[in-house]
Amino acid sequence: MAVVHPELAALLLADGRLPVGGHTQSSGLEPALLAGMSAQRVPELIGTRLRTTVTVDAAVAVVARHHVLSGLCLAAVQDAWAARTPSEVTRAASVAVGRGHRRLLLRMWPDTLSSDAVRELRAPSRPVAVGAVAAAAGLDPWATARLVAYDDVQALCAAALKLCPLDPLDTTEWLLAAGSAIEVMVASVAQLTAPEAIPAPSAPLLEAWQHHHPDHPRRLFSA
Amino acid sequence: MPDASPSHSPESPGSSISPRKPQSPGIAAGPSGHPSDGAPAPAAVRALRVGVAGPVGTGKSSLIALLCRELSEELQLAVVTNDVYTDEDARMLRAAGVLDPDRIRAVETGACPHTAIRDDVTANLLAVEDLEHDFEPLDVVLVESGGDNLTATFSPALVDAQVFVLDVAGGGDVVRKGGPGIARADLLVVNKTDLAPYVGVDAALMAREGAQVRDGRPVIPLSRSDAASVDALCAWLRTTLVAHRAGSHTPEDPGPMAPHHHAAGRAPAEGRSHTHGPADTHDGGDGVHGH
Repeated sequence: MAVVHPELAALLLADGRLPVGGHTQSSGLEPALLAGMSAQRVPELIGTRLRTTVTVDAAVAVVARHHVLSGLCLAAVQDAWAARTPSEVTRAASVAVGRGHRRLLLRMWPDTLSSDAVRELRAPSRPVAVGAVAAAAGLDPWATARLVAYDDVQALCAAALKLCPLDPLDTTEWLLAAGSAIEVMVASVAQLTAPEAIPAPSAPLLEAWQHHHPDHPRRLFSA
Repeated sequence: MPDASPSHSPESPGSSISPRKPQSPGIAAGPSGHPSDGAPAPAAVRALRVGVAGPVGTGKSSLIALLCRELSEELQLAVVTNDVYTDEDARMLRAAGVLDPDRIRAVETGACPHTAIRDDVTANLLAVEDLEHDFEPLDVVLVESGGDNLTATFSPALVDAQVFVLDVAGGGDVVRKGGPGIARADLLVVNKTDLAPYVGVDAALMAREGAQVRDGRPVIPLSRSDAASVDALCAWLRTTLVAHRAGSHTPEDPGPMAPHHHAAGRAPAEGRSHTHGPADTHDGGDGVHGH
């Protein structure tokens, strides 16, 4: 079992080079651009996601972490996530990366409460799996929620560089500009422990765009 | 590190990792028979996974279609495609009607085909394992790389053997340029030999030069209109499958990679470029080379 400082673990888990398949996703950016959203509005898209889908995912990860450390089953957390993620397309994209995290977890932290919890869940969503990894790696709830937010925004920024003509420093600026919104979101979910307490804000237009993404014949990203 | 490193041979990259607790029987061989998790099925038991790489337009998809056409009666096959735009190759293969369309799956690579077969093989591994589960028992899963450059090779964590495809129309000098795939893939195919007279290339010379840089590894000059060459290709796959099942086939890493750049999303001038020495391969999907 890997024992590392939680801050080092957080850096590892936030690193885009982590082999969990995250590079195949754009956090909804490609679907939005294909639907005609202007590239100028990407920072607004980031803000909207932080208030809606990222809030849900961060809360799910925080509650999943708590459930793992309390020896509780993750199925109820997974159900709460699914109930708040209406498109099966979006859910499938989340599960694709969740399975990557599950694989990472079973290899890096075997024989832990986390590995026991995900072993029963073959297709965890990304936030449920991240919550379980966070529990194993010693991340606190705030770091767990921040990790989910960072990963979502940074995946979007990395995808933006492939999809739009941009100075890479622009996208770096987007992430830092989202910092205060991230902290507001983190503070709003970090104390949660129960699946029924996970908030359910939604972004119907973004969800519809993502839902139709597989119909688009020329796409680089899976979500 | 992805946990599906082939584990059937002492030389395999996974063997340097400290011993792992065996999975509970309910997981390793549960009612669903789903593979993966911490303990992948022993390589000799599961399907042979064969990667097909090579530059754009050299005939990777056609080669896979050819293998399906020739062998789908004899072997249980499935295909995973990687492409720049998701499913072009998968649609072409499905349209070719050489294999049950459900056995052909496309993987999105986030515009990074080389990452998806080398540095972070997660999406491809999951697709392979899903196919192995859904169509158990499979004999061979073919994984087609998106057309990339001469340096793109598969991680041994993803495939057991790899084919590198060049074509005569790309020029007779490409073999001499070399590269890990040309020199050390399990098989080098020099494709479209029937076009050689039209592009002024000596196909036999190209194959000989390939053999010279490959240290005895096989080279097959191929044309789908040349039955003998098609037979040679099919024979190679059968032989490799037999060796895989006998546990005598060792996945070999063609690495090292070419100079590449380590800071994702930044201008090359600001990133760090380097090469790896022969001893410093990327075995085992170390995951530190995201792009």
